[in-house]
Amino acid sequence: MTSVRFAGIAKAFGSVKALQPTDLDVATGEFLTLLGPSGSGKTTLLNICAGYVVPSQGRLLIGGRDVTDLPPRRRNMGMVFQNYALFPHMSVFENVAYGLRVRGLGRADIERKVAHALAMVQLATFDARAVRELSGGQQQRVALARAMVIEPDILLMDEPLGALDRQLRKDVQLEIRRMHVAQPRTTLYVTHDQEEALVMSDRIAVMRAGRIVQIGTGRDLYERPADTFVAKFLGESNLLRGEVAAVSGGRARLAVPGLDRPIEGRAAPGISVGAPAAALIRPEMIRPQRDGVPGRVVERVYLGELAAIRFRLAGGHELWCRRLSGEVPEGDAAEIGWETTAVSILPEATQ
Amino acid sequence: MRGRLALNIFAAIIALLLILPLLAVVPAAFSDKSFIRLPPETWSLRWWHIFFADASWRRALMTSLEVAALSAILSILAGTAAALGIQRSGPALRTLLTGLFVGPVVAPVIVLAVALYAIARSAGLVGTTTALVIAHTMLALPYVALNVGVSLAALDPRLDLAAAGLGAGPWRIFRTVTLPLIAPGIIAGGVFAFITSFDEVVLSIFLAGPTVKTLPVRIWEEIRVEYTPVVAVAATLMVALALAAALCGRLFLRRGAR
Repeated sequence: MTSVRFAGIAKAFGSVKALQPTDLDVATGEFLTLLGPSGSGKTTLLNICAGYVVPSQGRLLIGGRDVTDLPPRRRNMGMVFQNYALFPHMSVFENVAYGLRVRGLGRADIERKVAHALAMVQLATFDARAVRELSGGQQQRVALARAMVIEPDILLMDEPLGALDRQLRKDVQLEIRRMHVAQPRTTLYVTHDQEEALVMSDRIAVMRAGRIVQIGTGRDLYERPADTFVAKFLGESNLLRGEVAAVSGGRARLAVPGLDRPIEGRAAPGISVGAPAAALIRPEMIRPQRDGVPGRVVERVYLGELAAIRFRLAGGHELWCRRLSGEVPEGDAAEIGWETTAVSILPEATQ
Repeated sequence: MRGRLALNIFAAIIALLLILPLLAVVPAAFSDKSFIRLPPETWSLRWWHIFFADASWRRALMTSLEVAALSAILSILAGTAAALGIQRSGPALRTLLTGLFVGPVVAPVIVLAVALYAIARSAGLVGTTTALVIAHTMLALPYVALNVGVSLAALDPRLDLAAAGLGAGPWRIFRTVTLPLIAPGIIAGGVFAFITSFDEVVLSIFLAGPTVKTLPVRIWEEIRVEYTPVVAVAATLMVALALAAALCGRLFLRRGAR
């Protein structure tokens, strides 16, 4: 059992509250991503799990055991840092072997396990290399091997792909995901990259200003965001602001100033009549439609297989729409529409 | 182009002015006359034989080497510990401690000499190797502390965290991660410390005794009596040994960098 439970964990650095009291459960073998902008508390939460940061209050349980007061070296966690933190004076082999030597394993065991770990990250022939000779992507994989070889209860990763270029990042994302699926290990992953979070995670916790705003699968968060912050952080979004006119049966109608008809959609929790709110319409849900809302095309952006089109509605509101490049309407005047099932009425994120 | 040439000539003149007195002492050591004249008219090893035949010169040379080696070792131990302590303390304490450790280098040496003489006298340590080693360590330690401090500042603090996360305790982290990475700073500081002690003269004059005196003290005493090329021999030895110490440190660092 290597589940993780944060029970009322909070951290203040002086007068700065880096983390509000937080409850979070990570199941055994689950890959959970902490997603948020810088300063949202995601790295603090990770460092508390690793034992690098001592929480101001709350308890941390691993597999039901209270480890709050254990130093990092007694926690059996594998940590991967953003800039790898490889030991520069050691070879690739020595870096990966470090945790095994600490555990007092024999030479034969160490050689076998290191070879296995390096093969896993596709660096089997690199054992004698100096760390300095490796590219960023290779260093990152050595760091991963070093963390995995000790067979940690929990794998912790702090923006491990942040320093890699885009293509390499995609490759390593898929590689990490494949390794996780082949051998599920409880994993906490910190990133500010929504695509990374979507590719790799079983669940995503979106964080903001020291608290978890929403937690769920990527699909949950994308299709049913809790508020405008989550909507903007995951995926592209059009937000039309107005006042809630009616709520019933989990659905709501939003009156948007300047728009000749109300927008109907799923009501997020916390929506009440008369309160300010925003309608979320994802760009891929918008399409040209007969008898739709009249508007004008003001911009077309070619993105390869997709094209982005900016519509200006009669009331002055602007909506981005994404269509396959072949489906872009010609001409400037257009009427657009969307499925009301694809619309969410969200509360504004509170500061 | 012409400006460049003028600059090179100027630099060469300065370099010569700096090195020339050092170089002048070397030929003077190979004279066969009883007085120093440059350049010597005939060359011989006469004064080298005299130097090494004289027990007091030999003893002074050995004392110098012994005191310098002991001071360097003490400076390395205490200076490295000091640098580690300074790095781990808060900003205000750090400034204070850094000032404190640099103090002996900045303070007028004569003041330090008088103070140390008074203390050594009341402790009955004047004229002992112990007194010389302690005094030289005071002067040499800051070089180690500063050099190691620079190495520590360049160290990624996450290496410690990574090692701790892999299960290593504080002592193992120090031995396997911190120490190898600050070794260049320690060696450079140690060489500085050795040379600082080796050519120290003011404190040594105050603290030396009839039997325990360093080479610079013995030279100083010799010139007050007579001015013979044996002094040049002693000086040449000092230059050569200091150079050797610097070269050893250099080689060690080169090997570490590979």
